Amino acid sequence: MLDKLYKAFIDATYNVFNLMLNISEISDHPLDEFSCDNGIDIVVEIVGELQGKVIYKFPVDTSLNIVNIMSGMEFDEVDVFVISAVSEIANIISGNVITALSDNELRYDILPPVQGTSDDDKEYEIKTGGCIITPIGEVCLDLRLNRA
Amino acid sequence: MLWKDTYELGVPEIDAQHKELFRRVEAFLQVLRSKDHWEEKLPKIIETLEFMKGYVVEHFRDEEEYQKKINYPKYDAHKQVHMGMVDYVLEVSKKFEESKNDENLMQQFGGKLLSWLINHVAAEDQQIAAYAKSEGVSGNVR
Repeated sequence: MLDKLYKAFIDATYNVFNLMLNISEISDHPLDEFSCDNGIDIVVEIVGELQGKVIYKFPVDTSLNIVNIMSGMEFDEVDVFVISAVSEIANIISGNVITALSDNELRYDILPPVQGTSDDDKEYEIKTGGCIITPIGEVCLDLRLNRA
Repeated sequence: MLWKDTYELGVPEIDAQHKELFRRVEAFLQVLRSKDHWEEKLPKIIETLEFMKGYVVEHFRDEEEYQKKINYPKYDAHKQVHMGMVDYVLEVSKKFEESKNDENLMQQFGGKLLSWLINHVAAEDQQIAAYAKSEGVSGNVR
């Protein structure tokens, strides 16, 4: 289950970077500890028979590079526009994961992305993370889930 | 430039509408992100928002008509995605008016619109083209 979920998120991120940003050189490594440096944390809550959240950490450089590529314009600082654009990317990746796993026996859905924090005292049955490395920077994922 | 030729579906009418949509969104983003005072940008922002409310509905209707014509199996799901975006545009438009033209709201809208539009055309709409090609039913809307 854990491996399947992790792979689904990696595959979805790969597809989104490939189709939306024309970036195909992507690798990943699992993370025991979620410790990406400063950046934008986007939290996508998962509800249903699986409950929890996926936290996307977009470092500042990665966020600006993503928006620069998509818009063809120069963004040099993170503002509400950039946060909204990367939030939607997180939403798209999560939505693609839900679709890819729709034949799974468990039923779950996602809530709209919100900028948030990775701080959380709750206990989770399923906890994994990974960092995706691309030529325009890293994106880190932290998955925290419980069966309802 | 926002538009890329790789986004073409091979359906001339839909491709022309996509190009127009991208052209308008690009012009909107350039105004939205310019260093001009907010009051100076407002007329163009309001004009684009009005355009989006009308044109997006018209384009989605034509695209859905094409999907029905070729019996696209994901028609219902795709229509839901369209409806979600139309609702979002209408909601933002209403909130923008109520907030007396709040700039933050419009910057937020611009960021989401950019990512949404590129994903929708570069990924979701491409599945329609792939289906039409695989079934040998490419062509035009009407």
